[in-house]
Amino acid sequence: MSSLGRVADAVEAYNGFVDAEVRRARADPEFGAELRTKWAAIHASVGQTVSPTGTLLPRLALPATDEPGAIAEYLLGQGLPGEFPFANGAYREMYLDRREGGEEPTRLFAGLGLAEDTNRRFHYLAGHQTSTRLSTAFDGPTLYGLDSDHEGVLGKVGEGGVAIDTVEDMARLFAGFDLVAPNASVSMTMNAPAPAILAMFVAAAKRRFGPDCVPQLRGTIQADMLKEVQAQNEVIFPIDASLRFLCDMVEWCIPHMPRWYPISISGYHIAEAGATPVQQAAFTLSNGFAYADMFRARGLDVNRFGPRLSFFLDCGLDIEYLVLGRACRRIWAVGMRDAFGAGPKAQVLKLHTQTSGRSLIAADFKDNLTRTAVELMLSYLNGTNSCHSNSADEPFTTPTEEYVRLASHAQSILLEETGVFKHTMNVLSGSPGLLALERQVEHAILDVFREIDTLGGVLQAMDQRYQRGKIQESAHRYERQVYSGERPIIGLNRYAAPSPAPRVPLARTSPVKQRLQVERLRAFKARNSRRAPEALQRLGNAARARGNIFAELLSAVEVCSLGQITACLTDAVGKFRPMV
Amino acid sequence: MVVASPKAGARRHTQPSPLRLLTAVPVCDGHDSAVTTINLELARNGAEVVYLGYHCAASAIARAAVQEDVHAVGLSSYNGGHAIFFAEVLAQLRARGAGDIPLFGGGGATITPADERVMKRGGVDRIFFAGTPLAEIVAAVKGAYSRELGPGARLRGDRALGRAITLAEGGARGARAAGRARGADRAGRAFVLGVAGPGGAGKSTLIDELTSRFLRRVSAGRVAILANDPSHPDSGGAILGDRVSAIYAQDDRVFFRSMATRGSPTGLSAAAPEAIACLRASGEFDLVLVESVGIGQEGDPFGVFGRGPRMADAVLFVLAPHYGGRIQLQKIAMLNGSDLVALNKCDQPAAKAAMVEVAARLALNGRDQLLHGTAAARHHDPGVDRLYAEIARLAGLEAVAPGAR
Repeated sequence: MSSLGRVADAVEAYNGFVDAEVRRARADPEFGAELRTKWAAIHASVGQTVSPTGTLLPRLALPATDEPGAIAEYLLGQGLPGEFPFANGAYREMYLDRREGGEEPTRLFAGLGLAEDTNRRFHYLAGHQTSTRLSTAFDGPTLYGLDSDHEGVLGKVGEGGVAIDTVEDMARLFAGFDLVAPNASVSMTMNAPAPAILAMFVAAAKRRFGPDCVPQLRGTIQADMLKEVQAQNEVIFPIDASLRFLCDMVEWCIPHMPRWYPISISGYHIAEAGATPVQQAAFTLSNGFAYADMFRARGLDVNRFGPRLSFFLDCGLDIEYLVLGRACRRIWAVGMRDAFGAGPKAQVLKLHTQTSGRSLIAADFKDNLTRTAVELMLSYLNGTNSCHSNSADEPFTTPTEEYVRLASHAQSILLEETGVFKHTMNVLSGSPGLLALERQVEHAILDVFREIDTLGGVLQAMDQRYQRGKIQESAHRYERQVYSGERPIIGLNRYAAPSPAPRVPLARTSPVKQRLQVERLRAFKARNSRRAPEALQRLGNAARARGNIFAELLSAVEVCSLGQITACLTDAVGKFRPMV
Repeated sequence: MVVASPKAGARRHTQPSPLRLLTAVPVCDGHDSAVTTINLELARNGAEVVYLGYHCAASAIARAAVQEDVHAVGLSSYNGGHAIFFAEVLAQLRARGAGDIPLFGGGGATITPADERVMKRGGVDRIFFAGTPLAEIVAAVKGAYSRELGPGARLRGDRALGRAITLAEGGARGARAAGRARGADRAGRAFVLGVAGPGGAGKSTLIDELTSRFLRRVSAGRVAILANDPSHPDSGGAILGDRVSAIYAQDDRVFFRSMATRGSPTGLSAAAPEAIACLRASGEFDLVLVESVGIGQEGDPFGVFGRGPRMADAVLFVLAPHYGGRIQLQKIAMLNGSDLVALNKCDQPAAKAAMVEVAARLALNGRDQLLHGTAAARHHDPGVDRLYAEIARLAGLEAVAPGAR
């Protein structure tokens, strides 16, 4: 049995335990009284607040019951916010009116053109936030580990994200931001070349803030190679080597970068590629457990790496999204505790959510503002720890400033202007509809776990292209539902009006800038042409010897471009063979 | 372009040739959700779709279009830079004498009407915008691009060879004449290796790894690959996806052709003998690798038992450790008929016992069959090196010391 089978067993065993405790609470007066006493203490500990219209409210919504069975079900089956099994929230307090020093959960993703263009966008976004939270999108060549002067990629330079070839580009990208400030945090959507890109980030930070800054750097890098193979297709090296390099990076980060999350286990791209909400959750969680297996096999302690894992899910408009975050937190907590022996800090699934890009369409594109607003509401009802809201113009362009601003404001309106989240935590948690849905979703996720377990585990299932096949099937079904009208999409297959092409200035990278990037890269390579070969030699040797390559990457990025590093590693370990 | 039907008498089939398309996603773009959906829909409607995958270079797309001799090329682009990329594909097609192959594409809403005007001026045939129903895309593509491909007397090089195979697939005998563009003096020296085995044994990966060794160790010659895949029994369409994982076939020294079986029950296209004859006649190739579809226990795609035409100079049978035990092994006909046997995925735990069982099975034949343990998915696998050396010896290929490049 793979660890996934053990997780499924653990969740079912835990559900059985909760049921038994509920029965005991009803049958055993002593236990019932004990629960009532505890419940009264919890109620007494909840503070109060007054809404602007004068209504007195508790800071935390709890079920209005005094029945011991219901109390047991709530405390054990869902858990208070911040308590096992965390269905109601990862932390005790979230979203409430911010006090001094609190950070908003809004994170906006940006990346366009050259490093200085994205830097300008970062400064623009920072003007709308109290804390520095920089989330970076990279262009295609960077995501595939290619230099901007690689044959045939010039048209892709700076398109859809920022072009980063060297440590100098990285320094330009974050210029003017205090990356060692306690409330600063950087996020990089970067996978196959993640180890090299993180090394560039560390090297650039050291140049600016001194060699001792590394432990202060805070943020996350996606580095989720399993979902790349399953859905997003940005893979450079064979799967085993890709995972090995990823583990090298994680192994280095755990002791050296205590504020860094070296992996963000992502369902977003799985869902965008077509997975249903249940498939998204099941594949993402199963990937998370597969990483836990890998890190343990490296000799890392689950209580040291567990707290450094974070998750990233898509939130679309299907009903399952009402509870997806809740169900995931619960399964992760039980699985980590009971199948992996993890302590409390390693049981908490920390969740970043992004609204669905796939749900946005070009026709009547301003309707996308509404779609995103609804998805944001669902995300926060799920207790997400941070959130990115998409811009309405995304179906046709890298977001323009106008729509980025609207997307950012949507979150502020929801969290600051409306009273839904800021007065009382968990206003809707525990509603019968949510709980019924959550149980169904959990069952369906465990069914997928069993199927993957039967195939031998996540890696073996992947070899048999199980996840890819399932995702493609779902994508195809979705398309057919859209075109048959079974899945209504307003403005497309319902209430469609012939709409003129949207008039939005497109964010495109000019050929002049693309050539400038190539010139800068060539100058860097020329300047370092004498030192690069030795660094590459050492890096290649480390990769061939199957040693940890991260230390070598840290010195290689000082004198080598991303493309040079990729070529060197490809030479050592080979190329990824794509799957259909 | 010359468009003429082959003579009716020269045709085996009365069906017109199916629409053949090449689809791909541009370089640095991994968005394959739309293209896989469209592939499926086109195949369900009878088209043969050669899929090249995502993150494809313009040169690889043009090379594939020529070798596969498709009616049209479709690109699905979601990462921007489409105007430049489509133009580059057109330039590469023209450079390969294939400027007549129409190029169409889509990219949701990332390709705007203004972009479309620019792209069309540059020679792109058609752009499908966001929201176009799948059925409409299929109907438009079938309507615009279905046509009989004629002999094309002016075609040269791989373009001529690709067309010769198309004519063979359409039932024309003597198509090889069209393929004899160059090197007639060298005609016939190609060594043809048939590769058979059950589905999932790793034939495609192994062939690709053999290709990489050929490219490294033979300094000048070319290798050809005929990859057979089943047609869908109901629609007649097919998704031919072997090129996706053939990473070493992205080289002008490799001629790669995907063939749908079009109802042939043998495990190979009925046109395979003619296609092989075309490849031999061209005089271009030192080695021809012919991959059968996944075969069953009785399968004999290359006619080694004399029930059909013998098509290969030697046959390699590939199997994986999970063949189902000793008794199942007894029943596999190709273990009697093959010249070489590869037990692939030999890095799996079950492989040790399997090696012993397969060796014992082969010993019963009393023939000089060589068994190799290979792990084709492993980088620089020494088992594949040994298998390649054996094939090179049989084929009389130039031998360069392993490790030399």
